[in-house]
Amino acid sequence: MNVFSVHDLNVYYSDFHAVRDVSVDVKEHEITAFIGPSGCGKSTVLRCFNRMNDLIETARVEGEIKYHGVDLYGGEVDPVQVRRHIGMVFQKPNPFPKSIYDNVAFGPRIAGFKGNLDELVESSLERAALWDEVKDILDQSAFALSGGQQQRLCIARAIATSPDVLLMDEPASALDPIATLRIEELMHELKGEYTIIIVTHNMQQAARVSDRTAFFNVSLNEQGQRTGQLVEFDETGLIFTNPKETATEDYITGRFG
Amino acid sequence: MATRSKMPTTSDLVKASISGKKTDFVGIAVAFILLLTVFVSLGILITLLADMLIKGWSVFADRGWDFISSPLSPDPEKAGLSQAIFGSLILMVFVVIVAFPLGVGAAIYLEEYAKDTRMTRFIVANMRNLAGVPSIVYGLLGFAVFVQLLSGITNGRTLISGGLTLAVLVLPIMMITASEALRAVPDALRQASYGVGATKWETIRHHVLPVATPAILTGSVLTVARAFGESAPLLLAGAVLSNFFSAPAGTGVVTLVTEGDYTALPIVVFNWARQPQKEFVAITAAGIVVLLVILLLVNGVAIYLRDRASRRAA
Amino acid sequence: MTSHGTEPSSAAPRHHDESRHHFTEILEEIKDGMVEMGSLVIDNARRAGVAIVENRLELVPEIIGADDEVNLRYAQLERLTFETLARQQPVAKDLRFLVSATRILYELERSGDLVVNLAYIVDRLHGLPESPQLRSLLDRLVGASCDVLASGITALSNMDEVAGRLVDEEDDVVDELVGAFYDEISRERNEIGLEAGIALNRMGRFLERIADHGVNIGENTTYIVTAEFPGDTHLGIRDED
Repeated sequence: MNVFSVHDLNVYYSDFHAVRDVSVDVKEHEITAFIGPSGCGKSTVLRCFNRMNDLIETARVEGEIKYHGVDLYGGEVDPVQVRRHIGMVFQKPNPFPKSIYDNVAFGPRIAGFKGNLDELVESSLERAALWDEVKDILDQSAFALSGGQQQRLCIARAIATSPDVLLMDEPASALDPIATLRIEELMHELKGEYTIIIVTHNMQQAARVSDRTAFFNVSLNEQGQRTGQLVEFDETGLIFTNPKETATEDYITGRFG
Repeated sequence: MATRSKMPTTSDLVKASISGKKTDFVGIAVAFILLLTVFVSLGILITLLADMLIKGWSVFADRGWDFISSPLSPDPEKAGLSQAIFGSLILMVFVVIVAFPLGVGAAIYLEEYAKDTRMTRFIVANMRNLAGVPSIVYGLLGFAVFVQLLSGITNGRTLISGGLTLAVLVLPIMMITASEALRAVPDALRQASYGVGATKWETIRHHVLPVATPAILTGSVLTVARAFGESAPLLLAGAVLSNFFSAPAGTGVVTLVTEGDYTALPIVVFNWARQPQKEFVAITAAGIVVLLVILLLVNGVAIYLRDRASRRAA
Repeated sequence: MTSHGTEPSSAAPRHHDESRHHFTEILEEIKDGMVEMGSLVIDNARRAGVAIVENRLELVPEIIGADDEVNLRYAQLERLTFETLARQQPVAKDLRFLVSATRILYELERSGDLVVNLAYIVDRLHGLPESPQLRSLLDRLVGASCDVLASGITALSNMDEVAGRLVDEEDDVVDELVGAFYDEISRERNEIGLEAGIALNRMGRFLERIADHGVNIGENTTYIVTAEFPGDTHLGIRDED
């Protein structure tokens, strides 16, 4: 079943055509990875899924993104509500300068959560594989945690609003290898409950962690401007053992540029 | 193989290329000059302070608290600062009440809400220009607007007119400081907040403002301190230069503010400094010392508030 | 924060301390797959043994069919190994395991084919000569070859480098039996005729080779664990003739 169905997506920043004609289906309870060189538009496409591009004044999105069949850019859709259903984890761990507890509790609080907040915080931290490490220091600043722990806290924070999708924008690029593998392991565990889309410039990471991989590349349009395009989208095993496009093969074998 | 003993080994070559310490004269000279600038700046300040303390010391020694609590007087032996301190403090209250919310509010709007249009950029550029306008111009404005045009509200030459004039004077600075504080809040924090489904106001209220508060507070208090030392605009906006009779004991603060003549510390210091009598030299110096002490106190409060706020934010 | 219970919420998933649990699971899957594939080959070899010794030609289609399953698993496991090499960037023991897995899978697949070849020979001869000595020797040879293959797979299953090294010694039994079997063929050449003689000779060679594949699996196991092939530097590849 498709969580997202993207059809002919085009994204512009002012006159700059950042992404051209992307069509992609994201399946439920799978990890979909977006890979490609810098400027290929992979992050731009990711940020369309929770309407994060709305925050950039000059951004313009054309085409269609269906979320469980609903047009994500339809007139009645409230981006704030969208972001409660589609959580996001960013490149650099960005916990709030607040306590560990408040970091996780913030989302549910503003959403008017009525249940037992303590339990929600605990289960969110459990799911993010962080509970055992922080259960005794919940009232301490999130900045007291290591980078890897901070990123897992950010995952717990995203989970706390009970989303069904997690968007991860290079979630491990600021972490050391061990912390990176822990995040990847966590993603494997989370995909039972969530649909995950990860943008990564680390193709080995995409190979290790994802079920499907989309390879984006930069091409020049008629005006000679650089534009991101989807080159190939397939099962990760196939992309990394037998890619159909030469551009994909050149990229994953390190023969690009 | 016979030449081998003459051939330098790799480690000989490496040793030659990485050893031989040379003295970095330029570096030492630069460090020395920079240190000198520190001493000169500090030296000027210390000289000034010492000069004032020495000249004014007799006043504190002879009169003590009487110098602070006495009203103005043409007689340097009796003249005191009570009215000036009162005036200055009330002026600061005006600045805080009027300029702080206006400046911070405008900054929040321009930084967080306003779209990046030509109009916005025009307004911001003008605010920056206003911050550079000489304070005497604000005095003229205060006189024309608050003392004359709005005399029905301000009662003419009262603390209200003076306070509003100073508030308008520091408003652009207040706004620029607050803007910079808001701009220093990392965008990652806003994104994190939007990412969990917060609205714009929730993001500002829960994340941006708490982080920006220490810097806003510090900037604001320093701005207030600047207003505290201003004399030129007040001269035009109605502060009384010459001595005036103090209101009868028991007059309410409200009446003092809304009806009475007023003066302020820098005005008084300015006035005393112009007096020909030799005795005024000592009380002028003593007045400056009081002014500096109050400024130091205000700055101290600023540092305290900032530390407390940043502890809470982190 | 004393209000927090110490009982973890039941809704939350269990976590693994290991940072590459998922990868470890795949390696286990490949190993278990190889062991199962090995069991299928051994079962089929024993079935071929019954067909030969008891002259039950009706088992032949079953034997050929069973090898299809072996081939299918070979394709799946090889693909998984291949993909894992591409996706998980294995190093050290993991790398030796996956590279050895491609070899072990080949050994197993070849063993399966040899079993099918045995069945074809039986089928073409319409049964073996009625010689009790030859049948008895064949019976023991099938048993010994299966035992050697089973020892190799057991060593792999337990990742036991000592057991892996010892498989080679077990193989001596097979070599002796093959020698005795050839002698017996030679002795009875007039009774059984040339055609049956050649067929029996090939059977002996196939069974010997099945045992050799078992030895190779054992040696690869030792290599995975110790990074060295037992004995010498011939990389565990034994001559097939």
